[in-house]
Amino acid sequence: MRFAVDTGGTFTDLIVEDDDGGLHMFKAATTPDDPIRGVLDSLENAAAGLDINLKQLLGRGELFIHGTTHAINAIVTGNTAKTAFLTSEGHKDILVFREGGRMEPFNFTVPFPQPYIPRALTYEIPGRILADGSEMAPINDAEVIRIIEDLKDKNIESIAICLLWSIVNPDHELRVGELISKHLPGIPYTLSHILNPSLREYRRASSAAIDASLKPLMSDYMQNLSGRLHESGFVGRVLIVTSQGGVMDAEDIANSPIHLINSGPSMAPVSGRYFARIDEQSDTAVIADTGGTTYDVSLVRKGGIPWTRETWIGEPYRGHMTGFPSVDVKSIGAGGGSIAWVDEGGMLHVGPHSAGAVPGPACYGLGGNNPTVTDAALALGYLDPNFFLGGAMELDINSAKTAIVNKISNIMDLSLEESALAIISIATENMVQAIVDITVNQGIDPRKAVLIGGGGAAGLNSIAIARRLGCSRAIIPEVGAALSAAGAMMSDLSSQYRRTHFMTSDEFDMDSVNELLNDMEMSCNNFIAGPGEGAIESSIEFFAEARYPEQVWEIEVPIKSHRFESRNDIKSLVEAFHAAHQDIFAINDPDSGIEVVGWTANVKCRLKTSESGVLVAGNSETLNLTNRKAYFSQLGFVDVSVRRFETMNIDEEIKGPAIIESAFTTVVIDPGAIVTRRESGSLSINPGAI
Amino acid sequence: MSLKIDNTIDGVKLALISNRLEGISRKMGNTLMRTGRSGVLNIARDFSCCILTGSNELVAVAESLPIHVLSGPDIMAQYMKKFHPILKKGDAFLHNSPYHGCSHPADHTILVPVIDDEGIHRYTVAAKAHQADIGNSIPTTYHGTARDVYEEGALIFPATKVQENYQTNMDIVRMCRMRIRVPEQWWGDFLAMIGAARIGEREILELGKEIGWEVLEQFNNDWFSYSEQRMVSAIKKLPSGVATRQSTHDAIPGTPKDGITITSTVTINPDDAIITVDLLNNPKEQPCGLNLSEACARTAAMVGVFNSIDHTVPKNAGSFRRLKILLGEGLVCGVPKHPTSCSAATTNVADRVSNPTQAAMPDISEGLGLAECGGIMTPGLGVISGVDPANDRPYVNQIMLAFTGGAGAPSADCWQTICHVGNGGLCYYDSIELDELRHPIYVHTRQFATDSEGAGKFCGARSAYSEYGPIRGNMEVAYVSDGAINAAKGVRGGLPGAPSQQHKITRNGKLTKLSNVGVVKLESGERIVSMTTGGGGYGNPMEREPEMVRRDVEEGYITKERASSIYGVVLDEYEQIELNLTLELRNKSNISGH
Repeated sequence: MRFAVDTGGTFTDLIVEDDDGGLHMFKAATTPDDPIRGVLDSLENAAAGLDINLKQLLGRGELFIHGTTHAINAIVTGNTAKTAFLTSEGHKDILVFREGGRMEPFNFTVPFPQPYIPRALTYEIPGRILADGSEMAPINDAEVIRIIEDLKDKNIESIAICLLWSIVNPDHELRVGELISKHLPGIPYTLSHILNPSLREYRRASSAAIDASLKPLMSDYMQNLSGRLHESGFVGRVLIVTSQGGVMDAEDIANSPIHLINSGPSMAPVSGRYFARIDEQSDTAVIADTGGTTYDVSLVRKGGIPWTRETWIGEPYRGHMTGFPSVDVKSIGAGGGSIAWVDEGGMLHVGPHSAGAVPGPACYGLGGNNPTVTDAALALGYLDPNFFLGGAMELDINSAKTAIVNKISNIMDLSLEESALAIISIATENMVQAIVDITVNQGIDPRKAVLIGGGGAAGLNSIAIARRLGCSRAIIPEVGAALSAAGAMMSDLSSQYRRTHFMTSDEFDMDSVNELLNDMEMSCNNFIAGPGEGAIESSIEFFAEARYPEQVWEIEVPIKSHRFESRNDIKSLVEAFHAAHQDIFAINDPDSGIEVVGWTANVKCRLKTSESGVLVAGNSETLNLTNRKAYFSQLGFVDVSVRRFETMNIDEEIKGPAIIESAFTTVVIDPGAIVTRRESGSLSINPGAI
Repeated sequence: MSLKIDNTIDGVKLALISNRLEGISRKMGNTLMRTGRSGVLNIARDFSCCILTGSNELVAVAESLPIHVLSGPDIMAQYMKKFHPILKKGDAFLHNSPYHGCSHPADHTILVPVIDDEGIHRYTVAAKAHQADIGNSIPTTYHGTARDVYEEGALIFPATKVQENYQTNMDIVRMCRMRIRVPEQWWGDFLAMIGAARIGEREILELGKEIGWEVLEQFNNDWFSYSEQRMVSAIKKLPSGVATRQSTHDAIPGTPKDGITITSTVTINPDDAIITVDLLNNPKEQPCGLNLSEACARTAAMVGVFNSIDHTVPKNAGSFRRLKILLGEGLVCGVPKHPTSCSAATTNVADRVSNPTQAAMPDISEGLGLAECGGIMTPGLGVISGVDPANDRPYVNQIMLAFTGGAGAPSADCWQTICHVGNGGLCYYDSIELDELRHPIYVHTRQFATDSEGAGKFCGARSAYSEYGPIRGNMEVAYVSDGAINAAKGVRGGLPGAPSQQHKITRNGKLTKLSNVGVVKLESGERIVSMTTGGGGYGNPMEREPEMVRRDVEEGYITKERASSIYGVVLDEYEQIELNLTLELRNKSNISGH
């Protein structure tokens, strides 16, 4: 038996895979003060649902896979360790300047951001390495020891070290590490060249700073998690989801907790890739995960999950860069809780402000009086006030209507239903723009992609989004409400190795590149023999981060040959680059050479034979067919049939308008759309024309 | 006319379509930045993308360099139509003429008319990007001392057709290749601009098919009315008043010996909801490259205004209806006559138009406008060149190593790295490792200078100190630093920002002061020192929140001495605020009228 648990902002989702490969989905409320309690609650719910006790349930488990927002929450709420930053003399402000840049050039109400680590806790280390690895000025042990004594006085809990050019010659960084171990034993530290061996000092420094600041907290969390699971009877292996969409052993990730920043959302595309292929035989997909406050978009491109080199914590230019590639996820403030409002020019907006969990949408009856997307869906009859989250929470439709009338209808002189429909339309358009942004950057034509809707609120407007984008299919997986947990269940054990080594296609030194590729391959093989032991299969892929001369933004191109034996191998790399550039940007420059800045090797070990099972249907005796009045554009209120998700037969077809709902989600089938049930359990929707 | 949007369903449609058009211009911008070759494009983000209606009105603009877009593209599109009355699908035009609406000759622009299936010209998309070289008589795109366009030497393209049926006219490309230095770089940027403009065209054509051209026409009108209404609301909230401010560009060869003083008079008229910027009372065109194009003169004034009002007001032809910018013919900041040189029109004197405009606002009322931003082009933004002995190859490139200059604002401290007022802070900072990898350069230091902020209730930027030189061989550093003499002014009691400074350090450590404009030769082991211009403070520093002052001390930006002498904040030996002593000191300074 395997467990996959994803701790989100509002809910902790659990997927249990039983010994026959069948899946079971459970949810519990997230408990921010002690998130592990929420994890255990979800397991208790599973035990109750499966009619055994917790100890028996956990005793049968071999694998526990966990995605968590604990690390990012700690950063956002300022609960990380008191961390010092040690950097090269003369370059104290690396974390202050960042890489420049700004959003909203006319907005002077936002001051320049504070650095991730205060300048008061930043120290300059004498010594300087140059670009070729030579030492221009030596390190000074006595001065470093003096600094360490000062750190001791200040009760520093963790230390980040980033010296210029440590990626080429790490001697100085290593020496600082040795001195810390000796003079400040027990205090964790992060050396930038080990954590993130990449060019550009700000990104590397920021990686080290964030990583170090999370170390005390996350190593406690991992120990605590493993300990409490074991206490409750679990004897299997604990794996943690990384920002790169793979999994790592809990004790390994405690040593580099920065990889947990995007743990969670990174798994949605893993699920999405599976359902796009199994349901529609497609290798390109847009995955949209709708939560209460955020809308996360990720992609599958030609069977691969595209990454971004630029991951920000907070807003671009105002926040902090992690310096690490991660699964490219575009998040916007749009979800069921997004607030609708009218500006002074009479234009309707939805979000980015959210009513959050408290007070929540007006219909929660917890004192919220701003209309939200959920309120609009309720007013239109899409949601059943008595069956929200399977009836766990009753919604107050009158509060929803009052909020919409007061804040929208009266100002815009629209009817209640027109207002509610407009709120859904604007939310849809915001979501569409988020998808357009990320698809442009990753060079995907959304018209050729399948749209996968995840999250409890995805079903409200997935068809409208698919229509706007021109997608031929929208998929709502049966496990869609726990898309990330489902993805975690099918993920691979993985690791990545990077090297910085500048090379041009015109003066290509094959020997030095091959040596570096050998070296990285050895690291991959060690990984396969170590954490990957017992895997069903493993694979290694090499990539070059390349660009045209004078460009500054690299794109990643696979190195098919794995080694460079002849000019032809170089030629095929260059040709692959031209093709990728054309693909992404609609132009290329076939007469130009290319520059390679970095080299990466990805290793993956598959842990399971089959990727995913099907959700095991619960007791469906009481699931009668009903009707409900729902409002659609041009039709007005119509009587639509409401079906329970789990009672729909494989290959059965339903024409819109209709509503399909389960304890976890509600799917609105607009007029003109046709939905079919797939063998995987998914709803596959032909959205029809706009 | 009625400004009320009476058909309220438009509130929904407006949001939907404006999002779509903005999304298209953003997509153009992303393409341009990620594919561009020259540093000014892909690091300094010196480019812009926008969409104009068929009647040449600016309707949507991606987040772009402010000085590029507010006005200019409209005039360029007018000339495109005037010179080419019959526009066809597949046409593209190269435009960089400052006499026909372009900002300055370095800003090559590709204009593509979007023609529907019936052959009707619906929109024009524009992709503009500052080039690394444009064939000037000397290797710089800012020829500050050029007497006229002939000495400047730029190739000028007044809306010249470069594509027909989507095919490039290679005659023009070959001509450019014969005159433009580093032609591969230019060609790469040309391709990037064509790519961006064609992506914009394709998307708009699809939008038109999807929702109908008539709906889009209606949208244009409604969107302009909406934006005008937003502008009216924003102006009606302001107090009425008139204020005049001056700002002086430092003297360089070709300017009068006291530099060029620009006068801007701002009138806020909330009753009619109009803001007027009067630039008529200014010097004649100068025999140098600092004159403004019409596009830059108008835009620089608009930047000053938009920096001063509700930033969420959309910037397009609708909101512009509420602005009156008065420009004179033949003035240094007006409408230039050919062959006046406008080589450096986007930066130097343009900054001296925006700055007094935004700084005049606080003279009308507390809570409005901004202090002055710092000047530009210290050696921290120098053009470095030489021959790398490692491979005997010549190199030339502008480095974006250090810049600050942000102005104090009514309710917040500055954005430190504004670059200059017309850039709006979009410019990226170079990675030291990347610079040291690409060029034979060694960057010894780059960090903030202590006690260098433009003090105020809300502070202007600090100076950034940088020190660099060649690691092997000789290096030349060219710079045109404005702000060594005339620093950024504060407003409402705020103090000025630090002036720029430049020095040379010899191998034995001797420091020599350098002039504000120069080409400096450095030998291996020698270094140039650059101190960037800070920005002015907003409000009396004695009114700054003591906690903010304490934090500045804790963070090492200012000393305890400065905290007490400038801000009247007294800290004890543990750097905690001595409240009583602070109040006492601040009262005393009030009486003495600090």
